[in-house]
Amino acid sequence: MTATPLISVRNLVKEFPVRRGLFTKRQVKVAVDGVSFDIQQGTTFALVGESGSGKTTVGLMVLDLLPPTRGEVLYAGEPIHARKGRERLALRRQMQVVFQDPYASLNARMTVAEALTEGMMIHRIGASARERRERAAELLRQVNLPPEALDRYPHEFSGGQRQRIAIARALSVEPGFIVLDEPTSALDVSVQSQVLNLLRQLQQDLGLTYLFITHNLDVVGYMADEVAVMERGRIVERGTVDEIFDNPQQEYTRRLLAAVPSVEAALR
Amino acid sequence: MTEPLLRVEDLRTYFDTPAGTARAVDGVSFSIAPGETLALVGESGCGKSMTALSILQLVPEPAGYIAGGHVYFQGVDLLDYTWEEMRRVRGADIGMIFQEPMTSLNPVFTIGWQLMEAMAVHGKGRGPDTRRRAVELLTRVGLPEPERLLRQYPHELSGGMRQRVMIAMALANNPKLLIADEPTTALDVTVQKQILELIRELQQDFGMAVLLITHDLGIVAEVSDTVAVMYAGQIVEYATTRDLFRAPAHPYTRALFASRPSRDQRGRDLITIEGIVPQATAWPPACRFAPRCPERWPACENVAPVYQKLASPGEDQTGPAERGVRCHLYHPELARTRPEQPATLEVHP
Ligand SMILES: Nc1ncnc2c1ncn2[C@@H]1O[C@H](COP(=O)(O)OP(=O)(O)OP(=O)(O)O)[C@@H](O)[C@H]1O
Ligand SMILES: Nc1ncnc2c1ncn2[C@@H]1O[C@H](COP(=O)(O)OP(=O)(O)OP(=O)(O)O)[C@@H](O)[C@H]1O
Ligand SMILES: [Mg+2]
Ligand SMILES: [Mg+2]
Repeated sequence: MTATPLISVRNLVKEFPVRRGLFTKRQVKVAVDGVSFDIQQGTTFALVGESGSGKTTVGLMVLDLLPPTRGEVLYAGEPIHARKGRERLALRRQMQVVFQDPYASLNARMTVAEALTEGMMIHRIGASARERRERAAELLRQVNLPPEALDRYPHEFSGGQRQRIAIARALSVEPGFIVLDEPTSALDVSVQSQVLNLLRQLQQDLGLTYLFITHNLDVVGYMADEVAVMERGRIVERGTVDEIFDNPQQEYTRRLLAAVPSVEAALR
Repeated sequence: MTEPLLRVEDLRTYFDTPAGTARAVDGVSFSIAPGETLALVGESGCGKSMTALSILQLVPEPAGYIAGGHVYFQGVDLLDYTWEEMRRVRGADIGMIFQEPMTSLNPVFTIGWQLMEAMAVHGKGRGPDTRRRAVELLTRVGLPEPERLLRQYPHELSGGMRQRVMIAMALANNPKLLIADEPTTALDVTVQKQILELIRELQQDFGMAVLLITHDLGIVAEVSDTVAVMYAGQIVEYATTRDLFRAPAHPYTRALFASRPSRDQRGRDLITIEGIVPQATAWPPACRFAPRCPERWPACENVAPVYQKLASPGEDQTGPAERGVRCHLYHPELARTRPEQPATLEVHP
């Protein structure tokens, strides 16, 4: 018997209202249609599937940033959407997110130090401004950036450096769980490898749990423990990386795998 | 050997910046034969897009300018063309797909208008035939409901759909050369596959040549015939795709390939390339990759390596494409100055 999963997603449904024409009836778009999965503490769960299949929407609901139409998310066995006030804030701290575009997620007018200490202040981490700044410098060290970066602005960094700053910011509030939504899709392979090494290192050192949303099956093969394949709001197949890659059961999964350009396949 | 369709010779594209002259493209030479696909790869900022834009004479002016070189297309140097002559070449003989699709579509015109305009400008006239062909093109790039799409505006489309419209426009006049700068990055793998297959079909049917810029080594391996690896404004390695993947010669190419994640690498740290691409205003003086190179030795920091031909290791050599590399490891004399070391790629601390 396994331990209580850190994240448990039960029958999540998300419907968005859509307005077709001015006089037509109100309709809904079912973006997520009954999704369930568990993520064990310290593991990486990958969500793959075509664009528009509902991956980001699932991620946002798991983070309590978007209310589900139906269904629930449990964090360490406790439903998250039922929590209020202080309890909810405490949970927000546990769950962080890193998006694809670090330009969009870092405030251009905030220095790196401000970006890294903002969350600490909200969650009352660090006794003084000085202590928070020291912690920020330590976070930068963890993501392989020099402390001088503290007083600079996001535009002064390369894409990979910005993504590492975004990761440092997610770590600043000591989360247990991070949703990574296409975190390396905008990066060069050379920089991607730095970010992936960092994420793996952090997982080992801090026991972090990841929900990894990506199109890139090479990255899934490298990072994930379990994979769920989404199609039109539903999970059509789920399993370990080896199960899904070596023995896909669904036609859709097979099509997805076959469509991924592969160096090995091409040179055979 | 087939006469190349495109022959770029010692191309130099510079920018005047407050920090000095940025040598974005700094002596690039390559050629593409009809029907051939050449992939241009390398890290962000190494000059891939500027090379493509220079061929088309679309370098952002006045900061940027072509400082030297030749771009022979069907034997004629495009750099001698007037703006008007160049405009006729673009979109007719040379199709192009840019990195940012939104900026290349006009927000105030319908998709249909823009697509048919692109076809009409280049002499095919406008009529029921144009419309039929527009619908056919949109269908071929995998867009559903093409009739309806003709009446829609760019903002009503998703990024992936806009990209597919751009691809349809680039292919509208059956160009002899397609320049595609990251054509499928915004697309799903399944759509991407469809587009790459379409491009391949056009190559088979019309002998279209392709200059493909991509970060995706999987795409390079699957679709390109030859590969030019760029670093810091120069080509550092050139080879057939097969040779390059079987035996990458330049330490940069080797590191680039080795940093690719895969299931085989699970549980191990991936190889990374220390540091970042330097600024184009301050390329390192000798070998531009030396400061980041795991194999460097003093010669690399003192003598600029020249591009030299290399014997191809490929046993089933199909084309006459030669191999070349810009690295002292392959220099008959300078290589001897290298202190004894195992010739393996090491992970940097
Ligand atoms: N606020 C919204 N209103 C209406 N529809 C929405 C909204 N947000 C998402 N959708 C729709 O829900 C579906 C799922 O979107 P989602 O962003 O979750 O997909 P995704 O799998 O993350 O795609 P991608 O890979 O492109 O990021 C899409 O059809 C999208 O258009
Ligand atoms: N307007 C500009 N002014 C000054 N320098 C510029 C300008 N545009 C580009 N550059 C420089 O030219 C170099 C090459 O840029 P280019 O866009 O060709 O890179 P790239 O290889 O296409 O990168 P990416 O993979 O990110 O698209 C860069 O180092 C960049 O700093
Ligand atoms: Mg998404
Ligand atoms: Mg570019």
